[in-house]
Amino acid sequence: MRALGGWIALTPELSAKLLMGRHVWDLAQHCDAFGQRLPELRSRAQVSEAANPAIVTFMDSVEDAEAPDQTVERLVGVYGVLKPHLLATYREHQARANPVYEPPTRRILARCIDDEERHIAAGDTILRYLAAGPRVIERVSVRRRHLEGLLAAAGGVTGDGLPTRDAPGAAGRPAELSDDAQEFIRLEKTTGSWPVPESLEEAQRAFAEALVAGDGASVARWLAPGLELEATGWSLLRETSYASHATVAFARLGHHRLVKTRLDGPSGSATVLVRWASAAEGWRVAALDVAGRDAVRPA
Amino acid sequence: MDRPIAYDKLAREERFVRMRAREVAELKVSQGLPPFPDLSSRESIKERVHGIMVGELQAMEGAGRSVCDFPDAPWEFTMDMARQTWDESRHVEIYLRLLEHLGGYAGEYPETTILWRCACAEDAAARVAGVNRGLEGLACDVFNQLVHIARKIGDPILERAVDFVLADEITHVRMGSKWLTKLTEGDAERRRRAIEFQESIDERFNLGGVRREGEHDVVSISIATDVRKMAGFTDEEIERLIKTTQRSQVY
Repeated sequence: MRALGGWIALTPELSAKLLMGRHVWDLAQHCDAFGQRLPELRSRAQVSEAANPAIVTFMDSVEDAEAPDQTVERLVGVYGVLKPHLLATYREHQARANPVYEPPTRRILARCIDDEERHIAAGDTILRYLAAGPRVIERVSVRRRHLEGLLAAAGGVTGDGLPTRDAPGAAGRPAELSDDAQEFIRLEKTTGSWPVPESLEEAQRAFAEALVAGDGASVARWLAPGLELEATGWSLLRETSYASHATVAFARLGHHRLVKTRLDGPSGSATVLVRWASAAEGWRVAALDVAGRDAVRPA
Repeated sequence: MDRPIAYDKLAREERFVRMRAREVAELKVSQGLPPFPDLSSRESIKERVHGIMVGELQAMEGAGRSVCDFPDAPWEFTMDMARQTWDESRHVEIYLRLLEHLGGYAGEYPETTILWRCACAEDAAARVAGVNRGLEGLACDVFNQLVHIARKIGDPILERAVDFVLADEITHVRMGSKWLTKLTEGDAERRRRAIEFQESIDERFNLGGVRREGEHDVVSISIATDVRKMAGFTDEEIERLIKTTQRSQVY
């Protein structure tokens, strides 16, 4: 619960953010229900402790995927390893819990099982969407093996060994309207094409080609009167050679237009933000900034 | 996991353009436009809705951080923050759909991160004072006005959606008031600092006189006195806010 809450800000993809945001509250209610049950079983309310140091190592390892380009690692850790294990643990405990003596525990478990099935299905949907491509699939697989190894070494969250009842497959469960991973993906993909005016599209393409070519004179020709090339982010760009460009964002700022372009090259990438203003002679660059540079782009 | 995180770690998809609020406002003024969307046209409403969507996104991220950053806070505090995270994630979805309804898209306007910066306060009491009372109080003002404008232009989808979100925001303000009191019990200095932080946020979000007391269709952001009372702000607090808006002439 705390990891999911903390990761929302560290995760760029909207679909994954919404997924985590939806599930934090369910998990808090699970913790609360178990925590309130504890004193009824002659333990302290809302106080938990790890079964052994190895499970702490496992949880720390789940949490350590904090970088912006590690969303799939985060999702695999929680939705691919931890939650299926919790689900199997709950199922096994429920099968053992006496229906006459332990209805309070069984009711808590029933709710948790129901939620975890839904969470796993939603997480699996988002993970399949984000983990497209062989390199990412390999990362998922490596991460899963690593965490499953740690979990097995800890004997699971209880320390008593891994449960024998496997979590059922994620497919086949209808999503609730308010918790629909497919809808999160749709919302992430709605920005399909930008309403870029044709004249600006042409100007932007020529300008980006000049940036890729490292052609300072051509870049300067697009600058608005009064804006000097050396006063822009150009000096940061010419240190690296680029091979291609792609528009990644298009925004309005009053009558001006903001175009974010990614430049990719063999030794690195850069993201440039250009503010275009329309003038009598056509679109001109009113500002050119470097928004970010990477040595190597993630897969 | 780092607790708390530096504010510049906020992660975004590439399709968003991040800029400083002051720069956005100055560039708009330089083009002869109001610094903040004034709801006078559908385009302006769309821009306001985009700003709210981004605000909800940052509110979700901030509430999520509050779940994570304060493991030693009372458990009920964590429960409230987890509930708020869920609420905000539904709000993000609602506003993304409203943006579609208005013919817009995520990333259509620059994102500013003032709200997120407020959500990075290191003290839990300051965070709930600033975010739940300062920023969610602002949300009460903005949403109440948007409901009114939507009703006036005959857009029941916008009206109903925003009205339901407003109900949640009122609850979040109440949570803020409750935790500001509980977390600072017996620590007057901590309470003073938290309230000071909230007041600095109120001052900042007066937006140079954009937020004011007045009719919904006359001022850019009208202070929602009745809704604020419902959320638990005292008459004295509301009066103080109105007074600060009268002296906020710069953004």
